[in-house]
Amino acid sequence: MIETALFWTCCLTAMAGALGAATVRNLFHAALLLGICLAGVAGLYLFLEASYLACVQVVVYIGGVLILVLFATLFSADIMGAVQRTPIWLRVAGLAGAALAAIVAGRLAQTAIAHAADLQQVRSQPGALPDVIDGGPGSRVIGDLLVGGWLVPFLVAGMLLTATLVGAVCIVRRHRRPPEAQRG
Amino acid sequence: MADLGPSSLSAYLAVASVLFASGVLAAATRRNAIGVLLGLELMLNAAALQFAAYGRFRAAGLDPQGQTAAVFIVVVAAAEAAMALALLFAVYRSSKDIDLEKTRELRS
Repeated sequence: MIETALFWTCCLTAMAGALGAATVRNLFHAALLLGICLAGVAGLYLFLEASYLACVQVVVYIGGVLILVLFATLFSADIMGAVQRTPIWLRVAGLAGAALAAIVAGRLAQTAIAHAADLQQVRSQPGALPDVIDGGPGSRVIGDLLVGGWLVPFLVAGMLLTATLVGAVCIVRRHRRPPEAQRG
Repeated sequence: MADLGPSSLSAYLAVASVLFASGVLAAATRRNAIGVLLGLELMLNAAALQFAAYGRFRAAGLDPQGQTAAVFIVVVAAAEAAMALALLFAVYRSSKDIDLEKTRELRS
């Protein structure tokens, strides 16, 4: 009973946070709502027996990405929601965007729920799917996978992070003019 | 229609659908580049949640490959956020604005 209540709390938190982050005018509040949404998804990971993923979600997303976004928001021009007059064509574009999002949500939910019913039918037949890797939930299994079948993606991810770090530093580096240009 | 609850796949997929649609909405309607970035993060989070959910409900038991794929999505999302914010700083430094309607080029 308590488990179900917690589950629905996580679901509603994630969905409300996402909708708020997409629609609230004030960008700072939107980023904070994104944090609430991420926390709800971390709770859902716990219900999916993915405790490692929940920790990663909290540490990397809430502790890293969200702080980065909040920091960048402070540089934004309309940080505290200085509302400028919205042109009429932009309102029409916003409505079109909302309609697009609604269509995407409807199609996704329709496909997903139909697929879920299929999957549960398949699950009821013994031997319909290949055997899964036997092992309890935990970071040890994921670690074994990362240096096993997922070794190449793991190395590529490391290279991606290195390239991102170097590239980000290069982009934000101040370009000093050579002394000749300053004198001239 | 499958029942909804902690032990059914449909609930997780419905939450992921709402997250993804919110991300599409934010990416399509925000004028500020940071708002668009928020939408992209929401969409990536929905994808990671779907991976974890399908891995959990794949067959008779839990399949950790779904969680592993979700970890990679988190890695890509972190790299994307760092790179996008670096670009935003560069754009902001050159044009003092990150409104996507006004910013047309990286060179100042």
